[in-house]
Amino acid sequence: MSKLGRHRATTEQQTDIDMVPVMNMFLVLIPFLLMSVSFFHIKAINTSVPVLAQGKNSGHEQITEKVTAIVEIEPVGFHVSAISDSVEPEELDKWDARMPKDAEEAYPMDQLVAQLNKLKVSYPASDTLIIIPDESILYNTIIQAMDVARYYHDDSLFPNVVLSGKVG
Amino acid sequence: MHFSRKERHSKNFVPPKLQITSMMDMFTIILIFLLFSFSNKPETMTLKKDLKLPESTADLDYNENINLVLSQTSLELEGKVIGTVKGGKIIGLDPQNLKTSALYERLRWTRERADNVPEDESEKPHILFLCDRRLPFKTVNSVVKAAAMAGYPNFQFGVLKK
Repeated sequence: MSKLGRHRATTEQQTDIDMVPVMNMFLVLIPFLLMSVSFFHIKAINTSVPVLAQGKNSGHEQITEKVTAIVEIEPVGFHVSAISDSVEPEELDKWDARMPKDAEEAYPMDQLVAQLNKLKVSYPASDTLIIIPDESILYNTIIQAMDVARYYHDDSLFPNVVLSGKVG
Repeated sequence: MHFSRKERHSKNFVPPKLQITSMMDMFTIILIFLLFSFSNKPETMTLKKDLKLPESTADLDYNENINLVLSQTSLELEGKVIGTVKGGKIIGLDPQNLKTSALYERLRWTRERADNVPEDESEKPHILFLCDRRLPFKTVNSVVKAAAMAGYPNFQFGVLKK
């Protein structure tokens, strides 16, 4: 062993770090965090149901063309259409589309979002979607349809969702 | 670890040190996990075991609202059972005559008691609606309709974050 090595060996001592205070701190922190932890995160989707209009006028003229998308969730698939006060009915008829369930009896969410995206691109000011499910449709399917209809990737599609029962 | 008296009194006896390294590792892992799961708004509501909420990509936090829970067995308003569900039908909630239901009457009473109704759209009272994902729209619709008729047309549908 060299001279330097011998010197280092004699001067260096093994020291143990006192971990007890750290342990104490952990023991305090863990119960506190356990109380504040939430193992499930509940989030919310804003929606509304149609009500009688108050006849309130906004006071300024509508300049941009705006449509309201309608998604009927039927036992056999989706039926997408659009309504508007400012767009010609012939033009709106072009947006009428039926999307049957696939071979695995799953609703074609991809087709729905593609159709809604096209509608949004054509009428960018549109932000309202009416979902009209059939009575037999499960609540989970309605939420899935709302999910795809509100956002396409990170872009907003139809964030105002109105849930309505079928009339007639 | 057991040491005999002879061993303990011997000059060469060194008291054993407690090895807390592994315990420290464990605590560190638990601490990191808990820090990641930390929520400044812990869920104060208790969800029933039979209530299965739908999963969603929604990222909106719910507000302090009136809680309405529809599970496969019961309808609860603010924690109180106001109806039972059997075969997808809510006992005491006639879809043809919603105004006679306990849900409508209680919500109407709450609505009338609210002294100042805010004008701002964003501050309109909402109902936090927690509904079982396996229920058909027929059942959901009668509850939603009754609430809307009582003066609460705006809802926040409670979902589990995906």
